[in-house]
Amino acid sequence: MKLKTLTALSFFTAAALIGLSATTFADTAAKAPVNVTAIVMFLAFVCVTLGITYWAARRTKTTADFYAAGGGIGGFQNGLAIAGDYMSAASFLGIAGLVYMSGFDGLIYAIGFLVGWPIVLLLIAEPLRNLGKYTFADVASFRLQQKPIRILAASGSLVTVIFYLIAQLVGAGKLIEVLFGLSYETAVIIVGVLMTLYVTFGGMLATTWVQLIKAILLLSGASLMAVLVLAHFNFSFENMFVAATNVHAKGTAIMAPGTLVSDPISAISLGMALMFGTAGLPHILMRFFTVKDAVQARRSVFYATGFIGYFYILTFIIGFGAIVMLLNNPQYFADGKLVGGTNMAAIHLSQALGGDLLLGFISAVAFATILAVVSGLTLAGSSAISHDLYATLVLKGKRDEKKEIRASRIATVCLGVIAVLLGIVFENQNVAFMVGLAFCVAASANFPILLLSMYWRKLTTRGAVIGGSIGLLTALVLVIIGPTVWVDAFHFEQAIFPYKYPAIFSISAAFIGIWLFSILDNSKTAKAEEAAFDAQFVRSQTGIGISEAAEH
Amino acid sequence: MNHTEQIRQMPEYAELTRARKKIVWPLSVAVIVAYFALILIIAFWPASLGAPIGEGVTSVGIALGLGIIVYCMVITGIYVTYANRVIEPLTNAIRQKAGALK
Repeated sequence: MKLKTLTALSFFTAAALIGLSATTFADTAAKAPVNVTAIVMFLAFVCVTLGITYWAARRTKTTADFYAAGGGIGGFQNGLAIAGDYMSAASFLGIAGLVYMSGFDGLIYAIGFLVGWPIVLLLIAEPLRNLGKYTFADVASFRLQQKPIRILAASGSLVTVIFYLIAQLVGAGKLIEVLFGLSYETAVIIVGVLMTLYVTFGGMLATTWVQLIKAILLLSGASLMAVLVLAHFNFSFENMFVAATNVHAKGTAIMAPGTLVSDPISAISLGMALMFGTAGLPHILMRFFTVKDAVQARRSVFYATGFIGYFYILTFIIGFGAIVMLLNNPQYFADGKLVGGTNMAAIHLSQALGGDLLLGFISAVAFATILAVVSGLTLAGSSAISHDLYATLVLKGKRDEKKEIRASRIATVCLGVIAVLLGIVFENQNVAFMVGLAFCVAASANFPILLLSMYWRKLTTRGAVIGGSIGLLTALVLVIIGPTVWVDAFHFEQAIFPYKYPAIFSISAAFIGIWLFSILDNSKTAKAEEAAFDAQFVRSQTGIGISEAAEH
Repeated sequence: MNHTEQIRQMPEYAELTRARKKIVWPLSVAVIVAYFALILIIAFWPASLGAPIGEGVTSVGIALGLGIIVYCMVITGIYVTYANRVIEPLTNAIRQKAGALK
């Protein structure tokens, strides 16, 4: 029956998309020129991924299938899928745009997004796989009290997922509006419907394949662009930099840090949020449960780091290519500004390099990228609701596969609806800070709890709950009363809290809170939790007793 | 003596935790120090990163920045090689012995 529903829904979505693109042909003269390559490629991507979802739906029967694709993904594949989850359209278009605008500053972000990965590999990946089953809350609550810890971990996950999701959806809506000439609302709804279909029916298996295809498309598209750019300069970085500094208004200043990071506190704070936030992103952590064991988890991060690092080097080259090839080309400018904003630099560059064909390909890749990232996020959010909240609070730890799967499907649909509504509400807000906020919450709530639960013997439930909540709330409150929300969004004269990036304060508050309330905790349960550390540590180091995602 | 204690008493287990500590902490510190050193230079001495290398326009900052990206990949490579060569045989030995205990 479910498969019939999926088939029907897929058919309707496909028909609606074809109908929409047909009407787009008819009346988009005013909006954007229609690129046939882009539409054909995009429809092909949607058809293939819906086909995969159909195939995956037939194989998704248990919770292990739904959350972890049965645990049967290989290390290389998972590494590529992690890269797919992580390389968002925001980082592709955003970093290329930032490099285009101010050169070196874009590189600061690219580095920040990468440096968390060795930390994930060295400290998190293997013990996480050895201790957990489907979500990072499994690990945090391993020897602590299930209920409070899961509520806290699920809250941290949901806050991270929702902010990240809104940022991606608003970006997607804007991008599709420019690229395909659809209205903003239509674009957000299409993305929302597709991601909900993938996750509800295909679970982790479909999501993984969507990530793999997207990662391959994005890496090959970006590689092609970077090679074309470098070929233009006889494969010499020096030639490229000379040409860029000659045409850029800021001249050689683009080779040094500019205005992005204004004061030391903000610089360190941003650095901490990016580095430790990566290690606390629920949709990334969840991917480690799709592999068999710690060896494969380790391999996953090795490949993921390679792909992601390579990708950021490509976006850097693309940004510089955009400086040289767009700045002297009036067709990409209107009223002295880049058409569609600086985030469109990479898209315009694709046309400058390879005409409408490459433009179409890169546009479709950007769309596929958005779809894949929001699917991964939605899956992580619905798992937090069904596996951590529903299964612990409503089912009270009694295992009931059918009910839990049904709950996760309902949660997926609800999340999809909420995300689309919020995406439409936030249309005209500057949402760039939301990705920063997602990283900040991940670094201030999820990461400290996860790290200390794995490595610190004296951590107690009380300490984790109070300290983790302090971290979560500090991050939220300081962002709201800081310049990005208080001044830019609420239009108050002056921010109550002067820094844009509060991570240095909220991460410290979380660690100090967890430490203080753990050592002050003399309760009986605290003693028992401390005593349970040795058994947990042995399992985290050796993998003896590891949960196999596949149920026998 | 319970199962956990028996594993903790194994000489291989002591060797495993030692082997892990020996690689995990130095590499973590190496990444964190390199990254925050760059961040601090950006925060306090931004102009120094704009200095060109030799005669050209390629700056020290660009080279350092791209260098850190490659550095991260190398660090993960070092750890994975070490883990496969040293840590895996130890974990396998412990697993075998623990299996025999049951």
